[in-house]
Amino acid sequence: MAVAIPHREELMLNMGPHHPSTHGVLRFILHTDGEVMRKAVPDVGYLHRGIEKIAERQPFAGFVPFTDRVNYLEAIFANQAYALAVERLAGIQVPPRAEYLRVIAAELNRIASHQISIGSVSMDIGAYTPFLYLLREREKINDLFEALCGQRLTFNYLRLGGVAFDVKDEWLRRLEAFLDHFEPAIDEFNSLISANEIFVKRLAHVAPISAADAVGYGLVGPNLRASGVDWDLRRDQPYGIYPELEFDVPVGRGIRGEVGDCYDRFWLRVEEMRQSCRLLRQAVAKLPAGDVCAKVLRKLKLPAGEAYGCVEGARGELGFYVVTDGTDKPYRVKIRSGSFAALSIIEHLSRGLMIADLVAVIATLDVLAPEMDR
Amino acid sequence: MQLLAERIATWLGMEGLPRQAVVAGVVLVVALVVATVVLTIAGILTWAERRVAGRTQSRVGPNRVGPLGFLQWVADGIKLITKEDVIPAAADRTLFRLAPYPVIVGIFAAFASVPFGQKLIAADLNVGVLYLMAITSLVVVGVLMAGWASNNKWALLGGVRSAAQIVSYEVPSVLAALSVVLLAGTLSLQGIIGKQGGWPWEWYLFYNPFTFVAFFLFFTSAVAEGNRTPFDLPEAESELVAGYNVEYSGMRFAGFFLGEFANVYLLSAIATALFFGGWQIPGVTPDMQAASPVWQAVGVGLFALKAGTGAFVVLWLRWTMPRLRVDQLMGLCYRYLLPLSFAMLLGNAAYVWLVPQWAAWVVQGATTTVGLAVAGVFVRRVFYHIRHVGDDVSLDLARGESGTFDPQLQVRVYGAFRRRHAGDSAS
Amino acid sequence: MRAFIEYFAAIGRTVVTLGDGLAVTGSYFLRRPVTLQYPDRTEKPMVALLPERSRGMLEVDLDRCPGCTACETACPIGCIRIEVSKGKPRLITRFDIDLGRCMNCGLCSEPCPTECLKHTKEFEGGMYKPDLLLIHFVEQPVPVAPVKKGEPGPPPKPLGSILRRLLTDPYGRKRPAPAPAPAAAASAPAPPVAVAAPQPVSASTPPVSATPSAAPPSTPATSGGPS
Ligand code: SF4
Ligand code: SF4
Repeated sequence: MAVAIPHREELMLNMGPHHPSTHGVLRFILHTDGEVMRKAVPDVGYLHRGIEKIAERQPFAGFVPFTDRVNYLEAIFANQAYALAVERLAGIQVPPRAEYLRVIAAELNRIASHQISIGSVSMDIGAYTPFLYLLREREKINDLFEALCGQRLTFNYLRLGGVAFDVKDEWLRRLEAFLDHFEPAIDEFNSLISANEIFVKRLAHVAPISAADAVGYGLVGPNLRASGVDWDLRRDQPYGIYPELEFDVPVGRGIRGEVGDCYDRFWLRVEEMRQSCRLLRQAVAKLPAGDVCAKVLRKLKLPAGEAYGCVEGARGELGFYVVTDGTDKPYRVKIRSGSFAALSIIEHLSRGLMIADLVAVIATLDVLAPEMDR
Repeated sequence: MQLLAERIATWLGMEGLPRQAVVAGVVLVVALVVATVVLTIAGILTWAERRVAGRTQSRVGPNRVGPLGFLQWVADGIKLITKEDVIPAAADRTLFRLAPYPVIVGIFAAFASVPFGQKLIAADLNVGVLYLMAITSLVVVGVLMAGWASNNKWALLGGVRSAAQIVSYEVPSVLAALSVVLLAGTLSLQGIIGKQGGWPWEWYLFYNPFTFVAFFLFFTSAVAEGNRTPFDLPEAESELVAGYNVEYSGMRFAGFFLGEFANVYLLSAIATALFFGGWQIPGVTPDMQAASPVWQAVGVGLFALKAGTGAFVVLWLRWTMPRLRVDQLMGLCYRYLLPLSFAMLLGNAAYVWLVPQWAAWVVQGATTTVGLAVAGVFVRRVFYHIRHVGDDVSLDLARGESGTFDPQLQVRVYGAFRRRHAGDSAS
Repeated sequence: MRAFIEYFAAIGRTVVTLGDGLAVTGSYFLRRPVTLQYPDRTEKPMVALLPERSRGMLEVDLDRCPGCTACETACPIGCIRIEVSKGKPRLITRFDIDLGRCMNCGLCSEPCPTECLKHTKEFEGGMYKPDLLLIHFVEQPVPVAPVKKGEPGPPPKPLGSILRRLLTDPYGRKRPAPAPAPAAAASAPAPPVAVAAPQPVSASTPPVSATPSAAPPSTPATSGGPS
């Protein structure tokens, strides 16, 4: 929506840090001409909790619960990325059952995270009800997680070398029942909002990101794929047992507008939820028997070295870079998160958008303040 | 009004009083009565909105104060009255304080010519439709004042959006109403209702295809004038925080709030009068109704029912629709509503001029059938959606799920999810 | 002509999709809400509706704690403080858990050899001051329990009973006066150590939670203990 800007007066608006559509505590400084924006400059750091620094005083196993807090919507992915890095350093072999359980937990978590994400897109566009429908479904996922590992949000489910708890068959049956219920619920959501003409008009052709821009700004995950770049760590840089499972990687096709616009980013997440359901069904069917955790010393001491573990999180590549120096604590941990990259492109996108579009852009890029600030 | 005043003066044995004084007294009393009624309606609508929101979102909604939470609006009112009335330090104090009044006055004054019943109308103006359209425009003054006086950029944007929106949508709504005026040959609301009948096929809604479309045009523009979703851009919670009333609190906020809800009822009441036959009772002629107080009461009830249903639809729309963008809002008005309402007006003019009476009956019947068919399709879709997610129909208004616990699975289960797999977990 | 068709197609699409959206929300008027009306209109108290593994606030059963301090070491934020006196008999003089800081991660209960440190399902612990959530589990110095790893030890108390008593009486006003320290009893391992404080549960029935110890004694049917 490029709009000609005829004259030069500017209104400076302060959007956030407490604004209904900046998810988490995040601030934008808008330079607008009436409703049309000259630019929107993000201002980060309101949610900085120093998680990377905390890692340096924790034993390797003790840092896992803190990774839950990197992004409260996708705790499993942060668990897993960190566990991957440390396992790589320590050479721990994860038992197959644990790998499957990791996939189950991760894909459930991906669904839960996408539910919030696309739900808040619809909420920011002004429709509140679809958001609550998705929250209702997410509640069921939270219940499943609570029965699985005792917590609803900060799971702390993964351990170095496996997972913390085994599952019961009843739980798996319950999971399948949930999937049976959830797939029609996606259809319902689509007829309520995704097909809605007003909604489509609000998102289609808004702030398209070209593939070159997406790569250039380091976008990852759904945002990158929506721009037409077919890149998914689960398939292209496999970890865990993803190579053994069948799934498609949805890529933005510009179904209602052009490739990489807001609607593509929204729709891609809807599709990914279906793929996650598919993955979950396969993982439940194939779940092998056996141990759920390798034997790992409680006071793990690692030789000096460094490793990078990354997973395809709900907001794209979530990576933990762990440097060790021979003690029982990491020397340094660096976290790479998708939200931060997504935020950095907003200033570039914002030229000529309207204020209402900016809200849609933030929501469809799925920028989440805690993951950005750590 | 003057006649009534004289009659009252005679009845009170005060013929000697100057006529103006009596008129003024009567006007005051009537105004107070209308204001009370409107306040009550608006209050009840705030409760209804929260119930509707709750039920559409598969929640319960307010349910603690009174049966079904019905007294919630009284509690809210008391809360708002006793709250501190904060005025921002940098605000234009006078304007800031004044701003709610044009909103309230504009909407409450409009109720003066709403025909609640055949005899129940404060002032049956011969230019009723015009008066309604004109007086409700006062709202925009209040909204602009609020936006400007708050000295808040979000409020200012909201106020400006609102001004543009209300002024633009005035046009198609008047044009759509003119279609009916053209058919009825009068601007008086009572006159328009009198031309219709009690049965649905005698309503102007189904009079011919042009009025059928005109109704939807009118309804859309009226919703937009009332700043309701999908046209609630001046308040746009997720963009402008709360728009023009962001700095308001306490009773002044309640002024805007009640004004908005009174407007919802007002627009449905006007639509009822223009398109749905107002207080006309099926099978009862206006003369019969005039003769019997019982029929009068039924007529008033029927009007309230129709207008209430309209208000319900407006609330329901709000919890279904996303919001338009500013440029799309204007585009909708000037690219779609305005030309279409002109076309409907011309179509109606041609219809009146060209179509003979016997053909009009056929058209009326056909339009009614089409309307019913659309309703039928809609109902089918409703049940399709219920079946599709494997839920079942339940009309329990008061309670949500009580939530049961499955000791074997250690999972809390509720909703469709539970009933569908009840056998599953019992085994 | 194309533009003309598109003009009316857009109107048609809008009407149809809006109508379908209305049908979805309208269908909810005929369906039952899923709200669970916490806290007062649930079938059972909420605590009884939580799953077995639910990690609520921590509690420690000092009758079974040998004072090994494994939990203190394991806690990543150091919100457990244990002091064990030297000499015979060894006394646990302090066992504090700062529930206000605890993030319920479960890392402390995993290494506990006797499973005396456990997560209850309790989650309602609102206090007027944060320091009231620093729970002192030791009211009187308690001799360490002579329980070894794998031994049954004294029977576990109903989950949550200890914590609930401490939480509903944070100032300790309702607790009985301290009994004389049972120095002699400590040498006899067979009967459960007669500790002064934790016995009179019924004397101060907590006013807050709806049914005290409604939660059934946890039968570890779950195959998922800490692995
Ligand atoms: S649950 Fe975690 S934070 Fe709480 S005391 Fe135990 S180890 Fe520490
Ligand atoms: S780990 Fe268990 S036995 Fe050891 S001190 Fe902690 S509570 Fe007591």
